[in-house]
Amino acid sequence: MALVCAIYAIVAGIAGIGTRHPLLIKSARNAGMAVCLLVTLATACLVSLFLADDFSLAYVAGHSNRDLPVFYKFAALWSGQEGSLLFWSWLLSIYAFIALFANRKRHPELMPYVGVVLACVQLFFLLLNVFAAGPFSVLAAPSEGGALQVVAPADGRGLNPLLQYPEMVIHPPTLYLGYVGFTVPFAFALAALLGRYPGEKWIHITRRWTMVAWCFQSLGILLGAHWAYAVLGWGGYWGWDPVENASLMPWLTGTAFLHSVMMQEKRGMMKAWNFWLVFTTFGLCILGTMLTRSGVVSSVHAFAQSSIGPWFAGFLAFILAVCLAAYLKNRDYLRSDNQLDSLVSRESSFLFNNLILLLACVAVISGTLFPVLTEAVQGTQISVGPPFFNKVNIPIGLFLLFLTGVGPLLAWRKTSLDSLKRNFAWPLIGGLVFGAICIAQGARDFYAAVSLTLSGFVALTIASEFWRGASVIRARTGSGFLAAVGQLTMRNTRRYGGYVVHFAMVLIFIGLAGAAFNQDKQLEMQPGSRLDIGPYTLVLQAFTSPPPETPNYSAERASIEALREGRPLMMLYPERRTFPASEVTSTMVAIHSTLNEDLYVVYAGRSPENGQPVIHAYLNPLVKWIWLGGVVLMLGTGLALLPNRQPAFAIVRAAQPEIALAPAEGVAAAVPQGSLRSGD
Amino acid sequence: MSRRLILILLLALAASAPAAAQKTPQARSIGKRMMCMCGCNQVLTECNHVGCTVSAEMLAKLDQQVARSEPEDLTIQAFVQEYGQKVLAQPPSTGFGALAWITPGLAAALGTMIVWTLLVRWRRQTATAAPATVAPEVLARVRRELDEENEA
Repeated sequence: MALVCAIYAIVAGIAGIGTRHPLLIKSARNAGMAVCLLVTLATACLVSLFLADDFSLAYVAGHSNRDLPVFYKFAALWSGQEGSLLFWSWLLSIYAFIALFANRKRHPELMPYVGVVLACVQLFFLLLNVFAAGPFSVLAAPSEGGALQVVAPADGRGLNPLLQYPEMVIHPPTLYLGYVGFTVPFAFALAALLGRYPGEKWIHITRRWTMVAWCFQSLGILLGAHWAYAVLGWGGYWGWDPVENASLMPWLTGTAFLHSVMMQEKRGMMKAWNFWLVFTTFGLCILGTMLTRSGVVSSVHAFAQSSIGPWFAGFLAFILAVCLAAYLKNRDYLRSDNQLDSLVSRESSFLFNNLILLLACVAVISGTLFPVLTEAVQGTQISVGPPFFNKVNIPIGLFLLFLTGVGPLLAWRKTSLDSLKRNFAWPLIGGLVFGAICIAQGARDFYAAVSLTLSGFVALTIASEFWRGASVIRARTGSGFLAAVGQLTMRNTRRYGGYVVHFAMVLIFIGLAGAAFNQDKQLEMQPGSRLDIGPYTLVLQAFTSPPPETPNYSAERASIEALREGRPLMMLYPERRTFPASEVTSTMVAIHSTLNEDLYVVYAGRSPENGQPVIHAYLNPLVKWIWLGGVVLMLGTGLALLPNRQPAFAIVRAAQPEIALAPAEGVAAAVPQGSLRSGD
Repeated sequence: MSRRLILILLLALAASAPAAAQKTPQARSIGKRMMCMCGCNQVLTECNHVGCTVSAEMLAKLDQQVARSEPEDLTIQAFVQEYGQKVLAQPPSTGFGALAWITPGLAAALGTMIVWTLLVRWRRQTATAAPATVAPEVLARVRRELDEENEA
């Protein structure tokens, strides 16, 4: 039914656009919103079948078992191919419902096009749900009479143990909210292009949508990194795996769009470029889903593989064809007023910012798809692993960090030499001093030292921006510094929220720099043996098989006392769990995390030679800064999404000429809404 | 077969899961230059995914070769002979593999050239543009933007 509604939304929408018949347009919109209710119903059915342990359903039998905690039965919804595609459909239908409902009385020329584009994307995923990867197939076997009858095994095969971790309940939905969320800006952009919607309105409408999708994508990537760190037990958080790369690609182009869009808002520049950035970001979301789900590239994270690759390839080709046709047909609509007063300006920095982000994206895409290319050309694969990605992307990332510091200090249109000196001198000196201190403290690795120096520089440029703005407010209002910072931030939430996000990136880069100093040691141990790593000593106390907390798994546990510089610190309990339903084992890492370093201990299994337990210990400096950066990033994005609050003096000043025109109506009535905007 | 028996068998299987500690830092260093060949797309020394027997075999072989004090490149070459170039964690800098290294550099050069050309062209357009009459709404927007800049 949802499929039929989506088809109706497309047909009626196109007819409504053609005939401008309001009832057709309204019914197309209602059909688009009805899809949400129907897909919600389907999703609720699947979840209830998981909760009811209905193993006659192939998907439930393949991804759940009776002893699986309820918490994970809900998460099993997206643990496999069919369920995750239904989940995609469901999230998309929710986004579409909100977009259509919130704008039902606004933008009457634009919304019918938006509805059609959203319904087309929805239709693709519903086609997958119905014809290619339906989650409602039942298990059947021939009866004595030869007719097929539904059979239900006594128990299911269980959820992949790697997914039985609390973060896995949050990470995939978050990442999906990012992937799916980029559909809305894409729909508005394509609609604006198809309908030749005037001005930059579509950008204002989609700004918050893009930021929400970007925030979810960022959070999803970081949660995925944290899950890989805490669950996979290899001591790292980012392995440049194709699935990880797939989530990074749209994030990079989405970040480029969030920056370049300001060029269009402020200066009316780069209109065509912004359209293509949105199209590319959405295309990369689809490509990412394809890589994750189709098995085109091999990955330890690809929990579902099948032959749906051609569907996605076809859809990607369709998107490209539609975008290209719309662009070629309406090129004149995208003519920009590209003027540049100076090469040293905010505009230039945004161009280079876009260049670097796209370069990073190209490097990631080419590296990810290179094995597929070599197989197609040579017949044998050439691997592209972390050493390649690190060599190529670390310099790009550092240059991007540098631009993060430089960009905000450059003025729009033109930056004078005096202003450059004034704005850069202290942050530059501060950054160099910070870098020198880090090197003196032992950060003797080229890239790490550069990263830490640049982090210091960028943090100080951000601080100087807050300082300068708050000083002006203090001088005007006489308020305290913190109150002035609060006022400043709330007056232009987008700008200062953006700075907070930049600061989050600084924290993340500090954390990444720590990877240069990772240490690890692996030892076959027996009770009483010691393993020294950095300032820590690990003393193995015992190996036990504790009584299971849940029948879902049993565990072998190492009890390890951790000492720091000879003094008792804490007990660590790394485990190796065995899941009878899926007949596999997994590790549970024990982590002692501080701002300085993480002590990360894995019970890696038993030695095949003598049966002794093998303990692998890692000392990973500064990892916590990455997760801290994730929290700050969320706060910054949340801040940027808030509406601006106006200072009283600005209202009075803007109102004065209007008061003269309409003295009887009073200030509040006389000030037009537009004049109260401080601009975002 | 009872559930308990299955559990015991599985525990026995888990206990025998290969997890040999590598003997030397040199073996670990070489292991980081190769990929696990089980298809997990992870670096050899970092592959610990559930049920991987391939990495255990490869690591044991690596330990043996390092113990024989064979030169690092020869050790890696032995793995290339056995598994093909796919075993290398990064593409070779010669032959078709060089394309992987060239692509980002080429993209960087091309991108920089395009950005620079655009900047110069826009700068030239601005310099040669005749002073235009400014529409009141544009003037209002600029004033508002300048006010924002000053206030912040």
